[in-house]
Amino acid sequence: MAFRRSIQSRRTRRRIQKDFELQLTSLMDVLVIILIFLLKTYSASTTNFASVNGIQLPMTGSRDLPPDSLQVIVTPEALTIDNQRIMDFVQNAAAAGSDEAVYQFNPTSLDEGGRRIVPLYDALMKARQRAELLQVKSKARDAQGNPLPFEGVLAIQADKRIRYDTLRKIMYTAAAAGYRTFRFLAMKKNG
Amino acid sequence: MFKRPSSRRKTHQGGIVLNLVPILDAMVTLITFLLFTMSFLSLGSIESPFPTASTKQIQEKLKEKPLQLTVTLKESGAEIWSPFNKIAPKKVPHNPDGTPNAQGIHDVLIGVKKQFPKENSIVIIPASGNTYDELIVVMDSFRTMEAGDPPIFQKNEQTGNDEPLKNLFPNVIFGNLLGDA
Repeated sequence: MAFRRSIQSRRTRRRIQKDFELQLTSLMDVLVIILIFLLKTYSASTTNFASVNGIQLPMTGSRDLPPDSLQVIVTPEALTIDNQRIMDFVQNAAAAGSDEAVYQFNPTSLDEGGRRIVPLYDALMKARQRAELLQVKSKARDAQGNPLPFEGVLAIQADKRIRYDTLRKIMYTAAAAGYRTFRFLAMKKNG
Repeated sequence: MFKRPSSRRKTHQGGIVLNLVPILDAMVTLITFLLFTMSFLSLGSIESPFPTASTKQIQEKLKEKPLQLTVTLKESGAEIWSPFNKIAPKKVPHNPDGTPNAQGIHDVLIGVKKQFPKENSIVIIPASGNTYDELIVVMDSFRTMEAGDPPIFQKNEQTGNDEPLKNLFPNVIFGNLLGDA
């Protein structure tokens, strides 16, 4: 009895294996739709700007796409350049436990009468030297055959709660390091 | 004699099964690549140069007396003025929640643009307490014409036609970057 059942189940299994064909058509349909969606949205994402967790960006109506450049990210807690956290803000004792984004610079990290942020200046100078070295090695030349000049563009991605006195220090420091054009980044409205 | 029937009639043609597996492999690879390389962060940017002026430029400016449209954000409100008195100064009080009245500033700037359609620059002097969010909102109100704004026409020198302006004052410069810390 058991022997007969075994032969029968083996035959059934063979029949199933022979007849079974995975229907890939519907899967192909789904993948084609996903592919088309990704290709349509891909053209709008030519920039390579990263962000950090917890940052709240403001909204802008500007349609200008930011070209790739060096980026500084300012959160209420820290300053980040090229994914490297270069400086932490300190919270003053009065603001501990409050919901407000209260932060301040460590006095030792400022010079020139509190205008220039020293760690930021050092990081920007290093980035500038790297960029200039790359431009010397690059084949791109101007009309006289000299390496292209340093562009000096800094993209600033700041949390919407960051105050202007902090931004002013950042812009002053950037200008001192040779970055004389600023691009303020924000989330696109309806985008 | 009958002709012999074609042998094709007898051959049994089963349904053609297209092998989709290689296409599927290619698509999965492509989708994975796109998902890894695409950015889901949709950013817009507002560009602003660091203000620089040589003594010679300042002297020329004093002779020409340009508009140099300036918006100062104060605690009570925004003041729109020109250092060379090209326009009558105007004050726009802040919103009840203390944020700058971007729409009010925008409306005043449209009036200024009608007077000076070729002017493209504006100087902003924010207060130290203004947030980045407020600055972006105010700069947006400086730069672009909105759908409901009255059209301002400017003659296109190439075509000779009057064309509606799309930008208000697109070049925003921060006026107090070199000020006191």
